Amino acid sequence: MASPGGQGGGALSTRGGGGARRMKWALELSVGNTRSRSDRQGGQGDVVYPIGYSEKPVPDTSIQETDKNLVEKRCWDVALGPLKQIPMNLFIMYMSGNTISIFPIMMVCMMAWRPIQALMSMSATFKLLESSSQQWLQGLVYLIGNLLGAALAIYKCQSMGLLPTHSSDWLAFIEPPQRMEIMGGGMVL
Amino acid sequence: MAKLILLLLNWIFLCCNVAAVFEDQVGKFDWRQQYVGKVRFSHFDSHMQSSKKVLLASESNVFAALNTRTGELFWRHVDKTGPEGNIDALLQHGQDAVLVIGNGHLLRSWDIGVGGMNWEMVLDPGSFRSACLVGHQGAVKHLAVLKKTVISLHYLSNGHQKWVENLPESETVDFQAVYSGGNGEVYALGVVPNSHLAIVVYSLEDGEITKQVSVEAPWLSSIPASCSVISRGLLTCVDSTTMSLYTLDLHLQLEMTQIPLQTLGLDVDPGFRPSLVSHQPNPAHPPLSEFLLQLGPEHHLLLQHNDGQIVTLRDYKPALLASFATAGEKTVVAVMAPKNKTACSINLFSAETGRRLLETTLIFTVDPNGGKPEKLHVQAFLKKDDSVGYRVMVQTEDHTLTFIQQPGRVMWTREEALSDVVTMEMVDLPLTGAQAELEGEFGKKADGLMSMVMKRLSSQLIMLQAWIAHLWKLFYDARKPRSQVKNDVSIENLSRDEFNLQKMMVLVTASGKLFGIDSKTGDILWKHYLENIPLNAAFKLMVQRTTAHFPHPPQCTLLIKDKDTGLATLHVFNPIFGRRSQVTPPALPQPILQSLLLPLMDQDYAKVLLLVDDQYKVSAFPSTKNVLQQLQETASSIFFYLADSGQGRLSGYRLRTDLSTEQVWEVVIPTETQKIVSIKGKRSNEHVHSQGRVMGDRSVLYKYLNPNLLAVVTESTDLHQERSFIGILLIDGVTGRIIHEAVQRKARGPVHVVHSENWVVYEYWSTKSRRNEFSVIELYEGMDLYNSTVFSSLDRPHAPQVLQQSYIFPSSISTMEATLTEKGITSRHLLVGLPSGGILSLPKMFLDPRRPEVISEQSREENLIPYAPELIIRTEWFINYNQTVSRVRGIYTAPSGLESTCLVVAYGLDIYHTRVYPSKQFDVLKDDYDYMLISSVLFALFFATMISKRLAEVKLLNRAWR
Repeated sequence: MASPGGQGGGALSTRGGGGARRMKWALELSVGNTRSRSDRQGGQGDVVYPIGYSEKPVPDTSIQETDKNLVEKRCWDVALGPLKQIPMNLFIMYMSGNTISIFPIMMVCMMAWRPIQALMSMSATFKLLESSSQQWLQGLVYLIGNLLGAALAIYKCQSMGLLPTHSSDWLAFIEPPQRMEIMGGGMVL
Repeated sequence: MAKLILLLLNWIFLCCNVAAVFEDQVGKFDWRQQYVGKVRFSHFDSHMQSSKKVLLASESNVFAALNTRTGELFWRHVDKTGPEGNIDALLQHGQDAVLVIGNGHLLRSWDIGVGGMNWEMVLDPGSFRSACLVGHQGAVKHLAVLKKTVISLHYLSNGHQKWVENLPESETVDFQAVYSGGNGEVYALGVVPNSHLAIVVYSLEDGEITKQVSVEAPWLSSIPASCSVISRGLLTCVDSTTMSLYTLDLHLQLEMTQIPLQTLGLDVDPGFRPSLVSHQPNPAHPPLSEFLLQLGPEHHLLLQHNDGQIVTLRDYKPALLASFATAGEKTVVAVMAPKNKTACSINLFSAETGRRLLETTLIFTVDPNGGKPEKLHVQAFLKKDDSVGYRVMVQTEDHTLTFIQQPGRVMWTREEALSDVVTMEMVDLPLTGAQAELEGEFGKKADGLMSMVMKRLSSQLIMLQAWIAHLWKLFYDARKPRSQVKNDVSIENLSRDEFNLQKMMVLVTASGKLFGIDSKTGDILWKHYLENIPLNAAFKLMVQRTTAHFPHPPQCTLLIKDKDTGLATLHVFNPIFGRRSQVTPPALPQPILQSLLLPLMDQDYAKVLLLVDDQYKVSAFPSTKNVLQQLQETASSIFFYLADSGQGRLSGYRLRTDLSTEQVWEVVIPTETQKIVSIKGKRSNEHVHSQGRVMGDRSVLYKYLNPNLLAVVTESTDLHQERSFIGILLIDGVTGRIIHEAVQRKARGPVHVVHSENWVVYEYWSTKSRRNEFSVIELYEGMDLYNSTVFSSLDRPHAPQVLQQSYIFPSSISTMEATLTEKGITSRHLLVGLPSGGILSLPKMFLDPRRPEVISEQSREENLIPYAPELIIRTEWFINYNQTVSRVRGIYTAPSGLESTCLVVAYGLDIYHTRVYPSKQFDVLKDDYDYMLISSVLFALFFATMISKRLAEVKLLNRAWR
């Protein structure tokens, strides 16, 4: 449905020049052919396709048995994704060590954040798995995988000492005990 | 490798602990005031016409020269304390000043120009009696020192002995005075009390006795008190019992001539001991024939000896003080007479004629908050027209020196009482008027919505006004050079600064004078002299009400106890203005043993003071109905302890509801073997932020924070170095339970103790190793708390864990105190006053019994420094850099509004104030923080963002048009 003047400013100037000769607008009814009428009049194909006709063959979209298997496979891929990440994460964990510095912290954050993000967008994933017959199982596997990932991140935090699990982490919140007796005195003046 | 890491760690750790000041910070937060002490002798340097020095020798064994123009010190020499350094006599001749020190033990000559020592001579033992300069043929070259049994003559130039002679009959005769009239003879005057006078004349050349006489004088008991030599060797005495003057010509006569005072028309005030003052302007010449006779507290006379006759030249009545002074050849008498209640007038009289010199009146205004004039030091000088001009230095009872010039202009005053501070407190300054207004708004009762709104609006307006005025002042001051900006502090414009760094220091001195000093500048804002303070009084200063309760004025109470009679008085005053409070203190008919400031408050927000008398009965101050009711309610939880060092008894009492007491516990420390030296409880305003310590494995070791814990230090009475010991007892003051007991064998005092949080640090002398040692005891509850909400000494079944470690310290110490901060988050330092005059800020971290001998992973995790027996003094730990503080007797610490900052006052002979930051200034931007850079960067970034945003918009628009 391009304008007959063609593309660009150059075409615009030609239209300006021969405006009297051409029509104000034209509708081309053929889909495949984009040549202008003047060219066609010049004479080669005079076959006019009906509206909506396409020369390309349209693929067969009817569901077949083999496709069903493929969908299932694809859905399992999605569901097992988080579980497959775990060995990788373990390796990264091992490499980054337990010292508290910027890189290990970043890695831990990433490791913790990804499963949490995944768990947050659980419904979107479920929609993806909707077509699968084992939707609930896959969903469960996906959930477990993510939980495992999160657990791994927490374990890493724990081994790095970032979790307030020790009594010393709560030390600052202990109020000084209230004094029950009032005492004073000193050397006899 | 591990060692290397450790070294690195140590290095980093030490680098973090540098507490020194930068050069441009000198004097910014700190100030020092140097004092001399109560003046005993003074001499105006008169050998040069233009000299502006006055030499002072004080009872604190200090010898100093002051600038008479400003009152500042030229130089000062601080000798040993006690009788060893006691200055017995000060003699000045020309450029030299000779001191006799330590009961005639030492003779020292100083060059008064620069304050350097010319020579020092150790004299033979013997108790000192008198000393004088000996002149001969117009020149003064010798010095005679009279002791109980010997008389010696020394050269002034080098101190060498010319001769030394034993005094004849020194077992019976008490030689008390030595005199020389410049004729080649030295007279030693002795007395056998109520019997006769002995006169021994020595030849100046070889010390041979040329004459020895004894004169009947049954009325005479002491020569210096009642006799004086006038004219050409005429010994003149006055006696109150026979109401007579006695004269004796030392050269010729063998009997005293009695001149009854009635014949001169004079009378002695009843009960007054008359005294005589003569004047010898030049030791090479005989004294003047004129002398001053005091017959009553306000009655002086100028008399003259003329051809065997005593003539009255002038009668001064009333006259408080009279003193001779010489300028050139002229000698004058300065007489101070009371004018009215607030002023005294000083006049000059010619000594020869007794005539008043014209235009010499000088007005001395008596400070209503000071003492009475006690001594008059006169500096006379010759003016250009050859008349005599003078300045006076008046010494008052409260040890104040006031230097006055004609016609009464006070050139300077020195508060020498501050050289002997006994106790002190720091009080927050009041809020500004506007802030107080706002505060007061909440304190009052509501009276209608509209008026409340109006009041609020008006107070906000006042605050705005004050803020604008403040800004204007800032702007105005910023244009002036820094040196000219001087904050003139007066009591009226005193107000708290935003971080509460400026406080009012309330100092109590041994003389009974109270001072209020601004902690920022060191200016004395008020002073108040309490009269009739006994010599050996004990003082205890308590802050009953702080400035936090606005409409009520702050209130301090000073308990003054006379140790002889045991009777005590209370002085209640406002610490900001120094005025006596309207509250009438209770009369205390019974001797008072101790006082106790309770955290209870009466309806006027004054803390309740309990006074324990010798019947162990308690009286409360203030004792309103409200207070008594509160006391009855809480009586069962009020305990107090008393320690009697003399009886070796340490006992605890509980209060009954009827304000009587019952003894709960008693610990007897046998006085035959040891005595209680000191008892230290915890400071009531101390806060501990952290209830435990984090271990390497991240568990918690809880501190044993017993607020009732007392550290009792005992010393053995046996001082033999093999058998002496010191003991330290940790006792719960409520139950009397002994928590811990440690005995340090082969150790000796003086022991300095600091008790704070869960630790006790003490310092002693180890006689075995001959060194000073620090020892630290820390108490821990263990890995779990018994009761985390309340602490009751009565319910503590488990004994705490006790850890102890000791260290070697390279110096002896004078005093010790711990830093104190608002919330107790900042790490603690120990402030150690050294005899060298330095104040050391020693991190508590070095005194930690958990310092490991073998380093482990866990101890490294905990940041524990490996144990090393020696504590090293690092020079950057001296908080007073080169501002030596002489004879530090005490250090006072107070928290400021900033958690990082602790205010420190060290007092002794000098007073020094500074701020310390034990964990550095974590809550304050640094002094050299580049505000300009940061703000310009911020602005630049802001504008860059604005511009780039605009540019981006333009670009987007252009693209849309395409």
